[in-house]
Amino acid sequence: MPVPTTGHTVESLTTWLGERIALYLKRQPAEIDPTVPLAEYGLDSVAAFSLCGDIEEDFDFILEPTAAWDYPTVQALAEHLIKEFDAAKGGAA
Amino acid sequence: MTSFRTFTELVLARAGALGTEDAFVFLPDDANGSVPQHLTYEQLDADARRIGAWLQERGCGGGQVLLLYPSGLEFIKAFVGCLYAGAVAVPAPLPTEQGRQFARVTGILRDAEARAVLTDAANAPEIAAWLTAENMPHVHCLATDGEAFADAADWREPDLTGENLAFLQYTSGSTSDPKGVMVSHANLLANEAAIQRSVGSDSSSRYGGWLPFYHDMGLIGHILQPLYLGGSGVLMAPVSFLKRPYRWLKMIGDYGVTIGGGPNFAYDLCLRRITDEQLATLDLSTWKAACNGAEPIRVETIRAFTERFAPAGFRPEAFFPCYGMAETTLLVSGTPRGTRPVVLGVDAEALERGELADPREDAPSRTLVSSGIVNEQDFEVRIVDPESFRERAEGQVGEIWVKGDSVASGYWKRPLTNKEIFDAAITGTDGRPDGGGWLRTGDLGVFEDGQLYVTGRLKELIIFAGRNLYPQDIERAVQLTDKAFGIGSGAVFAVETDREHLVVVQEVRPSAVTTDLRTLATGVQALIGREFNIPAGNVLLVRPGTIRKTTSGKIQRTLMRQLFLKGGITPLYEVLEPAVRALVADAVDRPADAVV
Repeated sequence: MPVPTTGHTVESLTTWLGERIALYLKRQPAEIDPTVPLAEYGLDSVAAFSLCGDIEEDFDFILEPTAAWDYPTVQALAEHLIKEFDAAKGGAA
Repeated sequence: MTSFRTFTELVLARAGALGTEDAFVFLPDDANGSVPQHLTYEQLDADARRIGAWLQERGCGGGQVLLLYPSGLEFIKAFVGCLYAGAVAVPAPLPTEQGRQFARVTGILRDAEARAVLTDAANAPEIAAWLTAENMPHVHCLATDGEAFADAADWREPDLTGENLAFLQYTSGSTSDPKGVMVSHANLLANEAAIQRSVGSDSSSRYGGWLPFYHDMGLIGHILQPLYLGGSGVLMAPVSFLKRPYRWLKMIGDYGVTIGGGPNFAYDLCLRRITDEQLATLDLSTWKAACNGAEPIRVETIRAFTERFAPAGFRPEAFFPCYGMAETTLLVSGTPRGTRPVVLGVDAEALERGELADPREDAPSRTLVSSGIVNEQDFEVRIVDPESFRERAEGQVGEIWVKGDSVASGYWKRPLTNKEIFDAAITGTDGRPDGGGWLRTGDLGVFEDGQLYVTGRLKELIIFAGRNLYPQDIERAVQLTDKAFGIGSGAVFAVETDREHLVVVQEVRPSAVTTDLRTLATGVQALIGREFNIPAGNVLLVRPGTIRKTTSGKIQRTLMRQLFLKGGITPLYEVLEPAVRALVADAVDRPADAVV
């Protein structure tokens, strides 16, 4: 069941993203520093697709797989998602 | 089983006999709430006639035709349309999709001398603009999902023999030098028969998969095999699988899929991403052959997948480890049906020397997974010393050499390479070469008790998630990112833990660095992720003169890899994945002669 795209903060998304990415890369969430480029953790295109799939499932929002390269840290991705969620909300209103 | 001379004759006969039965079902990504699309044999035949007529009217009947499609039924119609026209299909990745591989596809377009490009309406404007930009306005371009571009009644059955080419398979060669395997109708029919014998398929077989349609395992294994049998296939796009691996396994139960598979990483991804709740909804009991090929097969994956998915009805003997390549059309060997994958524990040190020996206590060992057996009626396979060209005995590692009706005649327009790669001769005990005609696969392997074990690569090719990557392509791209990097002074190679890891060693001129080394390394990682869609977790920036070259200036990647694994490279700056750091540390702790 998708959760609404409203009510999120950069902090809550940072936590969610860190947990997902740790899972894909077989690491502990605590190891993922939100400001370190994901490439340094060995993020690959398979993991980038996994992330897009999970975002679709959990937030009912379609993210382009290239976003993981355009917003290369957890922090940058979280900020991007918040902006996109807000835009989607605005568009629906 | 067949009396057909060409695959065109075969498809025409299947279409005539099977009419309204489904040939294929395509499952679009369900994010848009889309429904499965069905293609009957009759519809496939009708659309292929129209496409064939359009190609024949433009004089493309005997020429090469580039196919640029997203995964979907339009690709299949266009491929069969080429068969109907008597044209040579050239499947390639859609360059407008993620990764934007225009450079590679331009190389293929030019090398293949394509006379026409077939695509769909959504991509046609961008493809037409690309043809104009490449100064190829004489190349015809058609969106095959458009209306009334040709009349099926104008199509004429081509006069072909088994020697005519069915398609060019561009999976080999670097971006700057793409090589297309010339697959004839006779090659294709021979290999489809070999696959049928190996995997035990028949007209009731239901194929199911998600591999790229232009990939040899996707095209020959999952699309042309069901056509060959008069069976059916259920397909989805790679992206659908990668986003939600659950969809692939769900498809198996939903559609009663019996045969299908992918590279080893696909099974790993299922293990990592499918939840207990999802597992409870799966039915894998119809799956008779879960193909595992195109990259190294790992025993850990086979064991973990078999255990995890047993509650869903997955049987241990369903795993079908197999071996093959585009140069042999597709399959060379496979695991006999009804038997479990065969594994063999060996001493790691002896294996590095090229011999099989029983594991010793307190010494590193490796577990090899057999790629199955070779059917004598389809192939002759020999293990050959790649230096002396003498045959090696059972239990000794050497290059895998192959001969048979499935082996292509060579790469398109590469007579010199073909003489070397497709017409090698084995030196006999009397010191004389045999009659030649052997394909050198570039893979290292060994026979033991009739089982073929693939143990490594002779060439420096890197295989990542089933994709062949050429180190020189990555090195060149890296060197263009910053002026501080010397051109031609980097080495890219892969090292192995429980998976493959890319390692980039690049020389940097400290005086030319305008930022800092960390920024340079991060830039390299981002570039490789974006351009090649692979992780570059390991980057070493080194002093000029560190990269070893031959006297003729060729990068010695194998030597650099050995140095790296011994801890013999002193970097100015490095970033290493924890698993790779551990691998190097382990090696440093061991005596030097035991190092891989």
